[in-house]
Amino acid sequence: MPHLTLDKVTVHYDGQPAPAVERVSLDIGKGDFVVLVGRSGCGKTSLLNVAAGLVQPARGHAAIDGRPIAAPGPDRAVVFQNDALFPWLTAHENVAFALRLRGVRPKERARRADQLLKLVKLDGAGDKRIWELSGGMRQRVGLARALAAEPDFLLLDEPLGALDALTRERMQTTLLDLWAASRAGVLMVTHGIEEALVLATEIVVLAPGPGHVVRTFETHFGRRYAAGEAIRAIKADPAFAAARAELTEAIFEGETA
Amino acid sequence: MSVGAYTERPGAKAGEADRFSVPWSRPRPKRPGVSARLISALTILVLLAAWTVSAHLQLVSPVFLPSPAAVWAKFVVVARDGFVDATLLQHIGASLWRVFAALIVAIAVGVPVGLAIGISRVGRGVFDPLLEFLRPIPPLAYLPLVVIWFGIGEPSKILVIAIAMLAPVALSTAAGVRGVPRERIDAARSLGATRGQVIRHVVLPSALPSILTGLRIALGAGWSTLVAAELVAATRGLGFMIQSAAQFLVTDVVVMGILVIATIAFALEFVIRRVERALVPWAGRE
Repeated sequence: MPHLTLDKVTVHYDGQPAPAVERVSLDIGKGDFVVLVGRSGCGKTSLLNVAAGLVQPARGHAAIDGRPIAAPGPDRAVVFQNDALFPWLTAHENVAFALRLRGVRPKERARRADQLLKLVKLDGAGDKRIWELSGGMRQRVGLARALAAEPDFLLLDEPLGALDALTRERMQTTLLDLWAASRAGVLMVTHGIEEALVLATEIVVLAPGPGHVVRTFETHFGRRYAAGEAIRAIKADPAFAAARAELTEAIFEGETA
Repeated sequence: MSVGAYTERPGAKAGEADRFSVPWSRPRPKRPGVSARLISALTILVLLAAWTVSAHLQLVSPVFLPSPAAVWAKFVVVARDGFVDATLLQHIGASLWRVFAALIVAIAVGVPVGLAIGISRVGRGVFDPLLEFLRPIPPLAYLPLVVIWFGIGEPSKILVIAIAMLAPVALSTAAGVRGVPRERIDAARSLGATRGQVIRHVVLPSALPSILTGLRIALGAGWSTLVAAELVAATRGLGFMIQSAAQFLVTDVVVMGILVIATIAFALEFVIRRVERALVPWAGRE
């Protein structure tokens, strides 16, 4: 079981007086769903970028099973909020692009891309250009493309952030389904408190100035969905409301205003 | 009251613009009336009429301004019999050939240069000042130097036009490359793309709309450099035709040549806009 670990990571961007993140440690095992929440400027995305290998920590270490993370790689596929898809390709070709980078042969590529589009419930939309798709459909293509890399870890940077509330709800279960199907470890950044509770196995609450961990929560609502419970029943559970209040409290703790 | 008649403020009458409404937020029904295109057509007609009348009343000598009829007659004659040893079609062909040969040179040099400016600090450091130096120089100023270096043959003519086209192609490419969304590149890298693959499969296609805009501007710039390029030792070409006519005060050929150049420029613009729409349908819709 591969483990992605951040060990006392400090991120300090060039030209900034203070670090964005200071001494944050994370551990994501395969099958974990770790969600980073916190107010703006708490360094959520910086941490995700360190895990992706897009940003190098100033101090501390990022590693997978002890091997330092030096660069981005297909074992850690990233999905961004604003779809980083290629508008000149169709949905199917976007997914196939990831397979092509892995050296998959054209015939097998087409078959796998079909499978992945089906997995994200986009079979039938494969021939559509990206700009012909809705926001939710685009994010599904982005997820399918990330999964095409068969990553050990999925890094999701506010993947549902640009979607409307209803699409968001539906995409939450899609994410849980994909997580269960791929058995990848997930590290996700979000602003949504309910979203964090629904999805996570572990919630890490960060606070700004410079970014540091305030609290971590173990949660089980995502696993309950994976075990077959209906999402609405889970959200209606009094335990969900209690967890939500506690999490909200932790996020806004120490905030004056 | 039906739902359709519901308004936010019941006091306001439906359909009546009230002073609190924000006019640009509301889709206005298309007013049946004069379109900008019709106004343009009318403007041209009025100018033509003014030209005809002034020529008819002989307000100015035909040497200065020949009548539209004379220009049209000249057009027919030159198209059929030619002027200075070549038909109009041959002049047009020679000029178009030079402009397109120059465009290919400008693309071959300008796109890689723009790419270098866009992706590397060294590239930007080297090429940016060179382009900024080259850009404001009028073609007539570097024409003598090009002739001294490369002779009076066809290559120098193409080169003069290509130099004028280089800056728009390179700068538009650079702008397009710099405008590629960071996340698009990061996503490709996280899928395992190498630097070369990122450039080929992500950066260049992303920059394509901007590159095509550059080509459109370059064609305009090149076409307006035509007369300068055909100043020395040309035997054919629209620019050459106009200059020869000017030397003998054949004003109707000069005017006719100007109109032909303008018409072709207009047609090129139209064609390349069509090409843009066909090649980069996603531009502006991402």
